[in-house]
Amino acid sequence: MFKNEEMEINLGPQHPSTHGVLRVKLRLDGETVTHCTPVIGYLHRGVEKICENKTYFQGQVWTDRMDYVASISNNLGWAEGVEKLFGIEVPRRAKYIRTMLTEQNRLASHLLWLATHALDIGAMTVFLYAFREREYLLDLFEAFCGARLTTTAFRIGGLREDLPPGFIKKAQAFQDLFLDCVDEYETLLTENRIWKKRTIGVAKLNAEDCIALGVTGPVLRAAGVPYDIRKAFPNAAYAEMDFEIPTRTEADTYARYLVRLAEMRQSHRIIQQCIDGLPEGPVMAKIPKILKSEVNEVYHPIEAPKGELGYYFVGEKGGLNPYRMHVRAPSFVNLQALPKMIEGRLLADVIAAIGTLDVVLGEIDR
Amino acid sequence: MPTQAIPMTLTQTLIMGVIQILAVLIVIFIIVPLTTFAERKVIGYIQVRLGATRLAGGHVGITGPMNRIMWGMGKVPMLSILRGLPIFIADALKLITKEDIIPAKADRGVFTLAPIISVMAAFGVFACVAYYPGVMFYMPKSWPVIGGLPFQGFITDVNVGLLFILGLASVGVYGIVLGAWASNSKYPLLGSLRSAAQIVSYEVPLTLSLLVPVLLSGSLSFKDMSVALSTGKDLNPLAIIPLFIGFFVYLTCGFAETNRVPFDLAEAETELVAGFHTEYSGMKFGFFYLAEYANMIVVSSLATAFFLGGHYLLPFGLQRFIPATMPIIGGPSFFFFFAKILCILFVFLWVRATLPRYRYDQLMDVGWKYLIPLTLVNLFLAAIIRFAF
Repeated sequence: MFKNEEMEINLGPQHPSTHGVLRVKLRLDGETVTHCTPVIGYLHRGVEKICENKTYFQGQVWTDRMDYVASISNNLGWAEGVEKLFGIEVPRRAKYIRTMLTEQNRLASHLLWLATHALDIGAMTVFLYAFREREYLLDLFEAFCGARLTTTAFRIGGLREDLPPGFIKKAQAFQDLFLDCVDEYETLLTENRIWKKRTIGVAKLNAEDCIALGVTGPVLRAAGVPYDIRKAFPNAAYAEMDFEIPTRTEADTYARYLVRLAEMRQSHRIIQQCIDGLPEGPVMAKIPKILKSEVNEVYHPIEAPKGELGYYFVGEKGGLNPYRMHVRAPSFVNLQALPKMIEGRLLADVIAAIGTLDVVLGEIDR
Repeated sequence: MPTQAIPMTLTQTLIMGVIQILAVLIVIFIIVPLTTFAERKVIGYIQVRLGATRLAGGHVGITGPMNRIMWGMGKVPMLSILRGLPIFIADALKLITKEDIIPAKADRGVFTLAPIISVMAAFGVFACVAYYPGVMFYMPKSWPVIGGLPFQGFITDVNVGLLFILGLASVGVYGIVLGAWASNSKYPLLGSLRSAAQIVSYEVPLTLSLLVPVLLSGSLSFKDMSVALSTGKDLNPLAIIPLFIGFFVYLTCGFAETNRVPFDLAEAETELVAGFHTEYSGMKFGFFYLAEYANMIVVSSLATAFFLGGHYLLPFGLQRFIPATMPIIGGPSFFFFFAKILCILFVFLWVRATLPRYRYDQLMDVGWKYLIPLTLVNLFLAAIIRFAF
């Protein structure tokens, strides 16, 4: 008389909490997820192929549109990757400014993550608190390069221009304000019983699974692996900075939340060091007007807010464009952990898992 | 407060009944939109933003010149707190004029019936809610037919009023379940299943927590219970303990009954799009919306009447320490009742801005593992206090 049937449901591509156009095909037994397939590609623009038809100078514009909430990190990876390909040495002041902006961008990205993740779980006030600070950061980026989101902040060989007047003062004002703001988010969430119930033990992914699936970034560090490109393969001015890699061992959503909050505090520390120790000097190296590559290949990883962001360039003899360009996008790799995290759990945990992975679809689909 | 019975003819009874019903309906239809406005503003201020600011208080319109002058002087206009007030009219107009879509695969009859059930259940409850335990005023003598008749603070005083309220309130869930089922869509179905489970589970502790006032006052009539518990004349001084616990359990269950944060699983926006009313638009959605806010007012009224001292100043029967002869604070007043309702409505909004949402299984845990045992113990305690001391 009664049929026992599993229900197939599409979460997305238009759904309030799939952060863009992620589509997750779920098979539900009641509210329990028995099977999960992420479907991607709704935002595919062929960035890699386009970059192969652009010169090295032009290509950077396309990196903004990948992880659009952390575009400065993407710019850094592109610029440094190309510099590595051509063996260009960047002036020290430019390195410091790049580091500072990248860390501010990390804050902006983590704030967006905190805002949307909390909103997904139902805490709507954190969303606006976090956006208030993010707004300040976007104003800083606007002061630096005129754009708030698609920054194209750097140039190959350094920076197009030095910091605008008053930038350091504004950045310092933000520094003075920010730690209190992080404490404020914590008062709303960290000891909140419902928040803890919704996050502790949810969407677990232990260290072995993380490594097997290639997951990097805060998700890996929350599983107890202190792997951070900024320490492992220091780029920009990270070698001169004094900071720690926050790790947790619980490997659940709550641990990732704590790791990211701790990372925000560490980023704050790095920015302070950049402001205090900003060296004088030029911001642009002497580079030729036209870059022509040799036969060469380069893989350059940087620590993006979401994990290891790697740029792979293959140059050809006398080529103005990369012969082949590939991006190892952290969101793309991290997303494949989703089925492992949520199968056998409840529908509400899917939302928490998508939030805790901090995926950006622009980067996944490229 | 004894009501002296004035003999009325059938015509007079009917006309007075209609007048009283209309009065209550008008008050509800004013409070509900004001609550939505307050929701925008309160949550706005909690979240360090302004909330609704358009309409009235801007640079144009009736107050426009004054506001322009105040902005010019570098001051926030006086009306700034109320800016956006007429937005509730705009809201209502939008809901009424919007296209009323019925999905092709929906069950048309039930789909239309569901919001009606919801809104009827929510409004019907007001028949038994006493806003004032007696006659509020008398009709002017000069009026034909109804001249000199009393206007009471309640529509009717049924001697099983509480049962009626609880019974009708639980009919509301049929609106949600039927509406979702008739939508013939997956997200509403999930939402309605959650809602059904949730309301069935929380009905138990809700009713058990309301049994404490029933036990202590020895009545089921809304008015008698309210008066007995508020004045506290016949109450044991220890009765404050079960009443205090009962209040918090009742309020928690009230949040669940009205599908408000942190128990808004049925319409969990970030999980189920819009839950049970995903397929609804226009005024049909408006009815669900109206029912939700009307339910909030019912929950607030019940909490006020049975736990917070109703029409008297002090809650939990503490009113007995104030002599009834004292001016204003010694006697019953409609405004005390109203102010307490507003306070509880504020708590609804405050909680919405602060707390995350429970997960389905955790919600069940809270209901069955904590609230029901707690209310049972509380009921036992109340029984001991009532009969042993």
